[in-house]
Amino acid sequence: MRMGMGSCRALLMGRAVAATASASIQKTQVFNFSRKISSNSFGLCFSKSVLITCRNNNGVRSCSTASIRSSLEPPDVPRLAETARISLTQNEVEEFAPKIRQVIDWFGQLQDVDLHSVEPAIRADTEGSNLRDDVPETFENREAMIAAVPSFEEQYIKVPKVLNKE
Amino acid sequence: MSSMMASTFLRSIQNHPLMLYPAALFIRKKVVLYCTMKSTESQTATQEKQNPRIKVPPRTQTITTTNNVSKDYEAVIGIETHVQLNTLTKAFCSCPYNYGSPPNTSVCPICMGLPGALPVLNSKVIEYAVKVGLALNCKLSLNSKFDRKQYFYPDLPKGYQISQFDVPIATGGYLDLDLPMEFGGGHWKFGITRVHMEEDAGKLLHSESGSYSQVDLNRAGVPLLEIVSEPDMRTGIEAAEYAAELQRLVRYLGVSNGNMQEGSLRCDVNVSIRPIGQSQFGTKVEIKNLNSFSSVSRAIDFEISRQVQLHSQEKGDQIIQETRLWEEGAQKTVTMRKKEGLADYRYFPEPDLPGVILTKEYVDAIRDSLPEAPEMKRRRYEKMGLSMQDVLFLANDINVAQFFDATIAKGADVKLATNWIMGDIAAYMKNEKLTINEIKLVPRELAELIASIKGGTISGKIGKEILFELLAKGGTVKGLIKEKDLVQIVDPVEIEKMVEKVLAENPQQLEQYRGGKTKLQGYFAGQVMKVSKGKANPGLLNKILLEKLNAKS
Ligand SMILES: [Zn+2]
Repeated sequence: MRMGMGSCRALLMGRAVAATASASIQKTQVFNFSRKISSNSFGLCFSKSVLITCRNNNGVRSCSTASIRSSLEPPDVPRLAETARISLTQNEVEEFAPKIRQVIDWFGQLQDVDLHSVEPAIRADTEGSNLRDDVPETFENREAMIAAVPSFEEQYIKVPKVLNKE
Repeated sequence: MSSMMASTFLRSIQNHPLMLYPAALFIRKKVVLYCTMKSTESQTATQEKQNPRIKVPPRTQTITTTNNVSKDYEAVIGIETHVQLNTLTKAFCSCPYNYGSPPNTSVCPICMGLPGALPVLNSKVIEYAVKVGLALNCKLSLNSKFDRKQYFYPDLPKGYQISQFDVPIATGGYLDLDLPMEFGGGHWKFGITRVHMEEDAGKLLHSESGSYSQVDLNRAGVPLLEIVSEPDMRTGIEAAEYAAELQRLVRYLGVSNGNMQEGSLRCDVNVSIRPIGQSQFGTKVEIKNLNSFSSVSRAIDFEISRQVQLHSQEKGDQIIQETRLWEEGAQKTVTMRKKEGLADYRYFPEPDLPGVILTKEYVDAIRDSLPEAPEMKRRRYEKMGLSMQDVLFLANDINVAQFFDATIAKGADVKLATNWIMGDIAAYMKNEKLTINEIKLVPRELAELIASIKGGTISGKIGKEILFELLAKGGTVKGLIKEKDLVQIVDPVEIEKMVEKVLAENPQQLEQYRGGKTKLQGYFAGQVMKVSKGKANPGLLNKILLEKLNAKS
C-alpha cells in the first residue's frame, strides 16, 4: 500500500457525518479544462477543531489560472458548512470566517504568481504506469480499523439517519 | 388533451387529478427498497463540443407500442448506465469484492478513506474500460485522467468519488440492436455519448425504526463504468431494449455479470417531452431506482404520460428538472429531490493518481482479442439463413450462443441444431430451472445426435429419448445407443420378418384391410414398430408393410 501525505479525509463519518469538510475555494476554483492550465485544488479541511491542510505532493504545485485575480471573494462560511454537512453556530461562523479568509488570501497571493511559462503539475510526478495487478489481498488489520469507527453495531457502521443527499 | 390518447391507462387518470391521487390508480404488489442514491452529472459534465455522430435512423415504422404519447408530443430519452466490473479486486485497493459477503469485511484503509492511504489503480479496470469503449464503437482517449467529485454522504467515506469528468476514457460511439418482433422489430442504432471509469459507493441501509442508517463499505471502491447514451430513445421499450443490449454486451465481453437485481447494472433514465417538430428539448426529468428492464420501460411510459398530461392541461411549467424515483409497488414515479441549479461537485483532477495513458499497441492488442459482439453474432447467424426469431433467441444469452456455435463447429446442421436448442433443450432448461452450462449435454454430443438421426443410425423418436438421457445424465450418444441397443434397424430382411409376424398375428385386421379398410395401415405400422422396440427405420417399415399388405396372398 502506498501511503502518502496530503490526504485530508474524514475518519469515516464520525460524529454527525460532519467532522470533515473538504471545501474548495470558490469562484477561482472553477476549472476550465479546455485550457492547458490547470487551476489548483486545495483540500481545505476543517472540523470542529479547525484543521486546515493543504494538499501537497512533492511540493510541486501549480497555482496558475488563466484569469488571474489578485483578490479572492471572502468565504461564505455558512454555505461551506452546508456543503460539508456540518452545522455551525453563529459564534463558530464568526470565529472561523477570518481564519478561512486568511488561508484563502494566502492562496490569493499564490494566484498572483506569474506561471505562464510553467507547465502545470496536477499531481505528484509519477513516471510511467503505476498500475496494480488484479490480485486480491486481505487487509490484515481490519479489526483495528473497525475498532476506530465511532459507532459500529451488528457489522454495520452506524450513522445518523440520512435519506436524501440534497 | 388530445383525443388520440388511446390508452385506457391515460383515460383513467384524466378523470382524476394526477398529482393528488396517483397511487390509488397504480397499486400493484411488491415493494422495493433498493436505492441507488448516486447522482451523476456526467451528461451536463461533458464540456466537449461533439456532434452526436450516430443519429437514430429515420423511423420507417410507426410506433404503436407506446400508446401513452399523444400524437402531438414525442418523448426524448437518454440513459445513464452504471456497470459494475467483475474484477477480483476493487478499483484502487486490493480488497476482494464478492457480492453478498458479510458487511464491512472486505475493507482496507484505502476504501475506508483513512487519512494517508493512497489509491493504486487496478490494471483490469483500464482493460475492461477499453474493451467496452471499443465494443461500443467509441473513440478512445489515449490520455485521460481521474477527477474527484466531491459530495458528502455516508456511503462515500472519502468525501469524494474518484471518477472521470472532462476527459472520459471513451466518447462518441453507438450501440446496435435488433428490436424483438413483438415490439415491432427493426434494427436500431443508439448513440453513446461517453464511457468513463469511476468507483462505486458503499451501501446504505435505512433502519426500520428510522432513527439511524447503516453503512456497509464492502462495495465502496468497486470499479464501475458509467455509460451515457445520446438522447436517442423515444419509448420505454426502446430504452429497455437498449439496456438489455448493454447487458448482453458486457456479458459477451466478460467484464460484468450485468445482474440488475444485484445492482451490477443500474440504469438512470432522463425523460423529456416536446411538441413534435420542435427541435429544442423539453425539461429533463431523471428517474432512478430501476432494477429490471420492465421497470425501465414502465417507468418511462408512466413518466411520459405524466408529462403529456401536464402539458395538455397547460401545466407544462410544473414539469421541473428533478430526480424522481420509480416506485415498483405503486407503479409510478415520485419526486426524490428537486435540483437547484447544478449540484456543486467541485471537480478537480485527482492528485493521488497518475494520468491514464493508453498506447496504440495496448489498444490494438485489446481490439484484436475482442470476442464477437452480440451484434456481430446476430448478423452472422442471419447470414446462416436463420430467421430473426431464431437469431434473437440464440444470440440473447452468450452461453446459449457459445453452445450453438460449438455444436455447429462439430459439423451439426444449422437449422436442426437451432430447433433442438430452441425446442426440447430450452424446454428442459426452463422446467428444471437450469442454465445451458448446467445441463449434462455437451455440444459435441448434440452434434453427434443430430448426425446419428440424419445418417439413419437412430430414428428421430429414439433421438428424443437419448436427448433427455443426455440432458439429465450426460454420457455419449454412441455409448447410449450401444448400451440400450438402440441402433435403428435398416436391414429389410429383418423388418420383413417383423412385418410377417405382425400380419400373422392379426388375421382379422388383415382381412378388414384387404376388404378396403386401408386406414388400418397405421395400426399395423404401430404394431411392427412395437415389435422392433421403436428401432425400425420408419420409411423402410412402411414400404415393406405396404408391399406385404397389398400382396395377393
Ligand atoms: Zn480496500
